[in-house]
Amino acid sequence: MRVLALIAVVAATLGAAPAGPPDILVSRQLLARAHLAIGDVVTLAGDSSGARARRFRVAGVYEPTPDPMKFNVERIEARLHLDDLLSLASDGTDPAWADAISVINVNLKNSSDPASATAFSRSLSARTPFIFAAPTRDQASTTFLVIDRFHTAIAVVTVIGSTAFLLALMVIRAEERKETVGVLRLIGISSRTIMTEVIVEGLLVAIAGAVVGVLIAAGAQHFVNLIFQARYDTTLVFMRVSRTIAMRSIVVAVPVGVVAGAVASWTLLRRGTSALVRR
Amino acid sequence: MTAFALAWRTARRYRARAVLAVAGVAVIGALNFDMLLLSRGLMLSFADLVNSTGYDIRISGGSGGPLSRQPIDNATPTMKEIGALPEIAAVAFMRTATAAAIRPTRPPEGLELIGSSDPAGLGIWKQVAGSTLDGAGGDVSLPPAVISRPMAERLNLTIGSTLGVRVRLAGELSAMPAVSLRVTGVADFPFESQNAFVVATTMEGFARAHGGVLNDQAEFMFARSRPSAGPDAAAAAIAKLRPDLRAFSNEQLVANFAKNAFAYFRQISVVLSTTTAAFSFLLVATLLTVSVNQRLGEVAALRALGIARRKIAATLLWESALLVGLGGLFALPLGQLLAMVLDRILRRMPGLPAGLHFFVFEPQSLVLHAAVLAATAVVAAIYPMWLAVKLPIAQTLRQETVS
Repeated sequence: MRVLALIAVVAATLGAAPAGPPDILVSRQLLARAHLAIGDVVTLAGDSSGARARRFRVAGVYEPTPDPMKFNVERIEARLHLDDLLSLASDGTDPAWADAISVINVNLKNSSDPASATAFSRSLSARTPFIFAAPTRDQASTTFLVIDRFHTAIAVVTVIGSTAFLLALMVIRAEERKETVGVLRLIGISSRTIMTEVIVEGLLVAIAGAVVGVLIAAGAQHFVNLIFQARYDTTLVFMRVSRTIAMRSIVVAVPVGVVAGAVASWTLLRRGTSALVRR
Repeated sequence: MTAFALAWRTARRYRARAVLAVAGVAVIGALNFDMLLLSRGLMLSFADLVNSTGYDIRISGGSGGPLSRQPIDNATPTMKEIGALPEIAAVAFMRTATAAAIRPTRPPEGLELIGSSDPAGLGIWKQVAGSTLDGAGGDVSLPPAVISRPMAERLNLTIGSTLGVRVRLAGELSAMPAVSLRVTGVADFPFESQNAFVVATTMEGFARAHGGVLNDQAEFMFARSRPSAGPDAAAAAIAKLRPDLRAFSNEQLVANFAKNAFAYFRQISVVLSTTTAAFSFLLVATLLTVSVNQRLGEVAALRALGIARRKIAATLLWESALLVGLGGLFALPLGQLLAMVLDRILRRMPGLPAGLHFFVFEPQSLVLHAAVLAATAVVAAIYPMWLAVKLPIAQTLRQETVS
């Protein structure tokens, strides 16, 4: 049996319930999966055997908040008034059930400061020994920090591969212009000028490559998001080429270009002028 | 001279570019190889993990998924009922609780307390020192405990040490008194996260930690099928006996895991292996094309000397194969090294079982890696070969002479 996630919300958010079955909101995915429509009356039960079933009226549909931790989970969810959820889930054996909740979400005034969340959770845990409080920010970010490091490591390897690629091209280009460089040396152009020219060329190729790469990524992000959003039926954004990422790519390209240009010019200038002009 | 010898000589003549091309292919090939390891690594690693337990069927509550911890009510009679089936050789169950290690003058340290009906631990731990829950050592009036290696190291616990444990009751407005356990063994717990503090004890010890009052539930129940029946038939027999429970063979569990868990890494491996293959193709195709363009005169001269078009094309194909082949060979150790680094990064994910790895070698990955590289070498050589065989000999030679 498919598990239906029931989320309780405070009564005020749905407004006053009219006579008849109480109102619920259903997720867009549940609406489509169960072929529901606004105004339909549905039966929900507290367990898989169908015990303690109650009827509810579908008052609306909502798009679940995109959650990267749940992106491959089908969001078959419904939101109930808190008292409706408690009465639906209770088997009547525990009188304290009607006054029990699972989780309290707290939004701190200075929520931008991670230290304040840690201090608050420590303080609350110390004062109320039966309540466990933890900052949510840390839990989520650890996983994404690891994924970020993984992607960075892959990016580093790709940059190393690209450097070898660019180096090989620059060396071929340098060999192609061996005689031209020899002639330039003969007419008095200094090694430093030639070296600068090759380095600038490498730099320009690297930056142009990075810019084209950013443009391809910017164009691809739309399709990547479309594919993954359709695959997982979510509004989560999987790929976003931000200005920071674009700038980082271009900044990384600078040393790659310089190294490629320097090595290519070294292969040229380590030879004597007569060797360059084949004399 | 054969086409291969000609290609080898060309590579040696243009040594710098050949070395750089091989290096580029090796780096990108290493990444490609790693993505192939990643595509099935988690599934293979998970299969190793579940098959190492010595039990081949996992039983969970009726409303839970195969990987979730849905408790089974009336665990002891259920275990006996299942154990009596002719297809079943052995059944065991375990329970878990959040607890804390209590030490005098030190703050409590959080840990996971496991109660096991099987003194050998259902295969969920691998012994490092001491013995299982059957072992002697320390005060024998205390329940035995096998603890995780990081816990033993950090809390300086050895075989025979006494450990205070207090269970944390979830959803209850009460606190349990601490109980003492004697350490009989130190083990690695591959299903728990890397540096987790884990204490496994007998069901008696687990009940004592709960003040002697414990409902008869089990988070996990494992069964071992008889070889004559096999796990699938045994799982079907359990499902028939108790339709309110779910029984999965290890194979079914792995298939379910492959379908639902860590889909992100499978997809990223597909995307990156495709991208790296395309990158390798671009690298080799560009280098060969530029190289042929630079050697147009040489190619025209060879053809003028009477060397057949087919041989020229074969030389270029060999050149491509040499660059990609050598790069691909170097990619294997480089990829293994890179896989270790990437695996270490990813295994820092919170709550990940210590025994789970993302990059796992299998011969199939090697075959696929070789096939991708072979295809890259052939496709990358097509355009340069076409350039070389379509070259107008007289015009090219004239142009080369004039220039």
